[in-house]
Order: sequence, then structure tokens, then C-alpha cells
Amino acid sequence: MLILKTLARGAMHGWGIALSIQQTSEEVLRVEEGSLYPALHRLELDGLIGAEWGQSENKRRAKFYRLTDTGRKALAEETDHWQQLARAIARVMEAV
Amino acid sequence: MNRFGKRLRALWRRRQLDRDLEEEMAFHLAMSERQTGDRTAARRRLGNPTAVKEACRDLWAFTALEAWWRDFRCALRTLRNSPVVTATAVVALGLGIGANTTVFTIVSSALRFDMAVDHIERMVALHPGEALANLDPASQPLLDFPNLRSQVKTVENLAAYRFSAVNVSDSHALPERYWRVQMTASGWNMVRPKPQLGREFEPEDERANATPAVLLSHRLWERRYGDDPSILGQSIRIDDIDHVVVGVMPAGSQFPEDAELWTPVTLMDMADPAFRRSLLVFGRLADGVTLAAAQSEVDGVARRAIAGKVNGPVVRVRPFLEMVGVYDQRAMLIAMVFAVGFVLLIVCADVANLLLARAAARAREISIRIAIGAGRARIIRQLLVESVLLSAAGGLAGWTVALAGLRWFDGMSAQGHRPSWIQFSMDARGFAYLAAISVGAGILFGLAPAMQLAKVDVNSAIKDGGRGAESPRGRRLASLLVGFQMALCVVLLAASGLMIHSTVNLYNAPLSIDPSNVLTMRVDLPEAKYPNADSVSGFYRRLKTALGALPGVTEVSLASHLPMAGWREFRGEVEGAQGKPGSLGQLAALVVDANYFRTLAVRLRRGQPFDENGGARSQVVVNESFAAKFWPGEDPIGKRLRAAGGHEAQPWLTVTGVAADVQQNRMRPLERTALIYLPYDTEPQPSVYVITRTAVPPGTLVEAFRRAVQSLDQNLPAQDVLSLEDHISNQRLNVTAFGKLFSIFAAIALVLAWVGLYAVVAHAVSRRTQEIGIRMAMGGTRRNIFGLVLSQGMRQVAGGFAAGIPLATLVTRGLSHGLVGVSPSDPATYAGVAIVLGLAGFLGCAIPARRAIRVDPLAALRHE
Repeated sequence: MLILKTLARGAMHGWGIALSIQQTSEEVLRVEEGSLYPALHRLELDGLIGAEWGQSENKRRAKFYRLTDTGRKALAEETDHWQQLARAIARVMEAV
Repeated sequence: MNRFGKRLRALWRRRQLDRDLEEEMAFHLAMSERQTGDRTAARRRLGNPTAVKEACRDLWAFTALEAWWRDFRCALRTLRNSPVVTATAVVALGLGIGANTTVFTIVSSALRFDMAVDHIERMVALHPGEALANLDPASQPLLDFPNLRSQVKTVENLAAYRFSAVNVSDSHALPERYWRVQMTASGWNMVRPKPQLGREFEPEDERANATPAVLLSHRLWERRYGDDPSILGQSIRIDDIDHVVVGVMPAGSQFPEDAELWTPVTLMDMADPAFRRSLLVFGRLADGVTLAAAQSEVDGVARRAIAGKVNGPVVRVRPFLEMVGVYDQRAMLIAMVFAVGFVLLIVCADVANLLLARAAARAREISIRIAIGAGRARIIRQLLVESVLLSAAGGLAGWTVALAGLRWFDGMSAQGHRPSWIQFSMDARGFAYLAAISVGAGILFGLAPAMQLAKVDVNSAIKDGGRGAESPRGRRLASLLVGFQMALCVVLLAASGLMIHSTVNLYNAPLSIDPSNVLTMRVDLPEAKYPNADSVSGFYRRLKTALGALPGVTEVSLASHLPMAGWREFRGEVEGAQGKPGSLGQLAALVVDANYFRTLAVRLRRGQPFDENGGARSQVVVNESFAAKFWPGEDPIGKRLRAAGGHEAQPWLTVTGVAADVQQNRMRPLERTALIYLPYDTEPQPSVYVITRTAVPPGTLVEAFRRAVQSLDQNLPAQDVLSLEDHISNQRLNVTAFGKLFSIFAAIALVLAWVGLYAVVAHAVSRRTQEIGIRMAMGGTRRNIFGLVLSQGMRQVAGGFAAGIPLATLVTRGLSHGLVGVSPSDPATYAGVAIVLGLAGFLGCAIPARRAIRVDPLAALRHE
């Protein structure tokens, strides 16, 4: 879900995704780089994200991942689901 | 599906995928390094790039499948690298699997024998019981079908049929004789297949004045009428009565008998008491009714119909399946499946031993695999893939063996009158069986060596360079396998020994006739055209004259039965033997003419044949057994006997001669039966065998015989024109064919078990070279060494023999039906088995033992 959300902002390569998640969460969430790539490939196989080779900011060839339409739909669902869950947890916590 | 497609695409662009992953990782590391400025830290954060790449690659690939594929290629390579081992195993497996598939196909086609009737296992047939033997046939109540049908409740859908041979003549081909079933409509209710052409019988066909209708079998339609559908509606003559063909039954439909023609039972037929008596009554047990319950009810119903008091059951209710031809041979067939299964087990043990021996050499390879991280399960899997591949190759070889075997058996059984269940081909079922036993055998013989190897002690195996795998357990396993092979071998040798013994008994039994240069044929006169005794005997007189006039024919005679082909039973009374069991009751008789004894060269021990001119009507000839049974120590000439029963007393017949015992019993050829030879003129029969002695080879006269019959009656077929020698070998086919099969299996088994023993002992000798060297250096004589090796091998043979005996007695019990003059536990046969096995075992051990005593102690020790 985090990967999908990150990619919602535009195409990005693996390193960029890891960096982005880390920065956005203000260093709270740290992506395990070893499992990032298998996760990306799985999403690609599932058709939630697409991939193509392009030029990175420092002129190197890099694999850029971007969200597909299916991925966007899945992200929306996941977000809904997450928000419901988060709200529910929050309510329980407040009730005490 | 989309996902699957992507993965498939990736399969073709594997290089591309690898390069992409490589580059992706490199890029990631470069970026990471740039940020932190520390190469090692960047690496630490990512972890092992190879592992990451592998995890990604697994996503794209069919990992599990590819592993199987790798195992497969690896196994192929291993097998190719040791061509001798592979070839040996494939040949042995091919023989084993091929023999099994052959037997399976034969036995399954025999046992499957589908009569296309629902719930055949609940069907019963009603046979006359012992009590009826002493009653006048004319008053037999059992066969009064209408009576039974109206009263019996425990057996549903009571039906009846008559099975008889009829002459068919029409414009399509020469007249011929076929089997015909006349069956009631209730019987047709049980038959599943519908005519493939035309219609079924309808209620109108059973009316008294109905036009006679007939259904043809597919076989008859094909052979006689050339698949021509226009036969429908045409008329054919059956026993000189016109019948309209209303339909053709589909191929393979043979209920209740394997007939070529089916006709309905009309009310007119049913009105005839003689016809009713000839019916066989059958039906299906009602729900929840046992055989015993049906027996007591049916017997009660039949008993009420008899006026007087009778002893014993009047009716016997027996499963219908008992009447099916193959039923008698069921035990024999199942014994054969066991026998051939044992051959395959021996093959498996051989191959397992082969692989065990090779396992020693491969211990190093396997240890290295384990050392670099292969799991034991993975190793076992790889070895099993190897052995299954081996047995699959064996299966392929087995296929060709099976095809050849089936053709051989087909050819052999085609010589005689082929039983209807022998109609086999290599069908899908046989192929599935082949595949199943191939894979099963592969796992069976592969598992033990694979487990052995996977347990290898990695450390010592790598250090010792291979000897580490020679664990005592492995050796024990090998000798256990050899003992097992020997035990199975004992079973097969015993079975084939008994069969060979039977065959010898069969051929040694005195026939008391001279079967060479005798041609026989069967003629059946239809009742419609030859209604009385005069017309029948008139025809045969003319036929005898016509045949006797043929050049090359020296003697012509008539007989109701050929030798080894049974007899007729009738109720009779023997004078002067009152009180002796059987003196008033069923007597066995053949109806022959006076020339019978001269034609077959049957010796008359006393007296002479009945006199054909004049006195024949009151004369009779008995055989030696009959004379010994009823008049022991007396002169039988001049004694009298007569037919009993019926309402009026029959005339006495005087014995004029005593003939030697001719083999007449069909099922038990060695049994001597007390027989009477009744003169043909007393009982002119419409169906007889014509027996002729010829001066030329009998085969050359077949056509002349057919023409002679046709010249007297052009609608009459000459059937089974056969030399007597062919007839006799047909009668013996059952024993000789099974005997041949068992002998072949036993021979294969012996060779394979011998190879197994030899290999194990030879392997042990080569492994113990140093030990033997030391023994010799310490003063062991050659005789000691020879004895040492021999005793080690013979212990396995003896153990196998001991274990095989009880197994053999179990299996050979199934053979008892087919044995002739030998009991299943014949001590001579077992002694023979012991000798054969002992000799084979001795040879198997002596050859390696000879090698052992040639060991040069110096060379052996220097080797260390």
C-alpha cells in the first residue's frame, strides 16, 4: 500500500521509492531494502504497477515503476479499508 | 491468466530478466552508496544482492517445475553415463513390465467379461437338484417355467432361455451351423444393449401365430451378410423354418450366452412340455434376499409340484456367474497374475540391488551435493526421478514385449476353439496399467537405494572416497533382497513344476485309441426336415456310404461324442448288481455304431462289438471300468442292463463285449469313467460326429467331406471338420497353454534371481578382497575361502527357499483346478524346486568364490 501510494505521485525507481517512504514518514518507517525489490516484482506481476527503463536524474539507466489503472483502483480500495480500520482503532482507543 | 502469460514470456527472455535484475541492483547500490558515502553500509542495508535477485527471479519463474526439469535432465545424464547398468535395468524391467501387461490384458479381458446386464452379481440360475435324478424326466417340475413364474417371490423377473445349435441357410453363403438363444421377454428386460439396427422383440413376436422373428449378432451380420443393412426384413431359414430378420445386436452383446442368433419364445413353444423341459430358468434376487432364502423358497415351490416324496433338493439356486465360461478358470487366472507380479518384484529387487551397488560409487557425489546445501528430501527426490525415468524406459520396452506376448497368446489360443472371453487388444486400460506399474516399479526399486544414499555420512564419504556408503545396513538390505527373490522364485518354480507335471500326466495317460490319421466332423440334422428316427438313420446310412466311397477313407463310423469330450447321462438299471451304489441311477453312455471300435482302434478286452445286422437292438458294449464296477470278478459277457424310468419297461440289453477305457472325461482327463456304448440303431440321433480313418493325411480330405455332406442335403453344413489329433490338442489347451506361460515366467524368474544372487556375492567378494588376502596370508586354505563365500551366498538361497514354501502352497492352491493327476503340495515337485534352486544358487556363488580363491594375498595386501 505504501509503495502504491508513493507511486501515485508519479513514476519512480526502486531507490527513489525507498527514499521517499523514509522521508515522508519522517524516518519512522524504514523500508527493508532486501524485501523492497521482491515486493515490486510481485506487484508488477499482479499488474498493479508497470515498469519501464528510463534515465535517472543522474543520467543512469534505471527501472522506473508507475501505477497502472488496476493499481490505482486497488490503492483506492486499500486506502478506504485502511482508513476504516484506523478510525475503528482510534475510536476504541478514545473510548477507554 | 495474465500473470501466467507474463511468466511464460519471462521464460523466453530469461537472459533479459537476469540482466535487468543485475542492473537494478547495481543502480540501487550506486545510489545508496552516493547517499551514505559508504559502500559497505550500502551493501549491509540491502542484504545479499544475490538472494534478493533470486527472490525476484523465483517470482517470475516456474521454480518448482523447473526444479523437476533440472532433476530430469540430471537423471538423464547420469543414466547415459553408465550405459551398461542402464541397459541391463531397462531390459530386465522391459521383460517384467511387458509380461505383467500381457497377463493383465488377458486376465482383465477375461474377468471384465461384461455381459451387459444390470446387477449380474445378483442374478441366479435354477438348476435341477439331486432329487430329480431319480425322477422320470417327463415329470420334472423344475423346468415348468410358467408354474415357477407364478409362484416364486424371492427371485424377480424370472426368465428362461434355451441355447441350441441351429442350421442357417439362405442365398448369402453356404449353410452353416450357429448357436441360437431362444429367450422369454422377461429375459430381454435385463439386457442393456439395444439393437444397433432394426428393432427389439415386441409382444407380438411372442404370439402363437406370430411370424418367426430373429435378431442377428454383430459378428454374424459382419461375416455372413457383409455388414449389409438391407438384410433387415429379409427371410433366412433356421432349421428349415423361415425367420424374418428384425434387427442386429451391437458387437459384444452375448447375454445369456455367446450366440449368433436370438429368437423369442412364442406361446406355441411354451405349450410344448419337451420345450419347457429344455429351458434354463434364471432371474435376479429380490432386494435383501439371500441366496439361501431364495434356495428354500424356490425349492419349496418346486417340491409342491411333485406328487411323491423325494430326498434332497429339487432345485439348486446358484449364482448365474458360475455358468460363465471363465468362472472355472478364475482361480487359475488370478494365480497367473500373482506369478507374473512376482516376476516384476524379482526384477525390482534386481534393479534395486544394481542401484545399491552403484550407490557406493555415488556416495561421494551425493555427499558433495549435501555439503553444498541440498536437503535430504531433495536428494531422495532426485534419485527417485532417476529410477522412475529408468522404469519408464523399461515400460517402453515392456510395451513392445507386451504387444509381442499378446500376439503370441492370441495365435496360440486361435488354434483351438477360442473361448468367447478371449477377445483382447492393447486397450487404454492396458496402457494405463502399463504406465502405473512402470512408475510404481520405479518408486519401489528406487526408494531403498535412495534412502540409503540420503543417509550417507557426508564427512566420511568425502574423506574415504566412496567406501563410507558401504554401511552394514546396505549390505543387509542387499542380501535380504536376494532372499526375497529366491522366495518368489520358489513360488514360480513350484507353480510351473506342477503345471509341467500335469502336462506330462496328460500326455502319458493312455488314450486307448489311435488318434493319427483320423478325420472327424459334426453333422446336425434339423428336426423340421428329419422328423423321425427312420429319416435320420437313413441320412446317415447314405452319408457313410458316400464318405466310404471317397479315395483315402478306410473306415467310417458314428459317435455321439469324440474322445475327451464327455458323454450322455441316462437313467438305467444294471441287472444282477442290485444294492450296489449306482446300479439304479445315472449311467454314462456314448451312442456309437458298430464300426466305432475298429475306426478308432479301441481294443476289445473281451467279446465283440454289437452285431450291426439284426441283433444290434438288444446288444451293448461296456468299458473295463464299468465291468469292474458292477461285475467285479465275473464275466460281464451276457450280463444285462436297460434304461429305466418312463411309464413302460424298457427292453434289456445284453453285453457282447468289453472295451478298453477310452479317455472321455473333459475336465479331469485321468479319471476313468464307467461307460456304456449303446448301439446307434437303438437311439438314432440327429446330431452326431462322423469319425473316419484315412489312408492319407486327414487335412487333405476336408473339402471332399464338405462336398459329400452338401451333395446329400444342400442346406446342411458340415461342422468342425477337424483331425482327431487337433481335437485332442484343443482339449488339452487349457493345461498346456497355462503350463507354457507359467514355465516362461519361472524361467525368467530363475534367471533374474540368479543374476541377483551372483551380483551380490560377486560384489561382496570384490569388497572383501583385502580380508581374503589376510585370511590367506594367515594360513587359510583355498577350501576355507571357497566355503566361506559359498556358505554366505547359500544362506540366502536356503532362507529364500524356507520363506518361499508357505507362499508357494498358498499360490498353488489356486492352480488346483487346472492340475492333472498331481496335488498342489506334490512333494516330488517341491524336491525338484529345491534341486533347481540349489544348483542355480551353487552356480551363482561358485563363480565369485572361484575368483575369491585366486586372490593373490600379496597383491591384496599391497593394495591397502
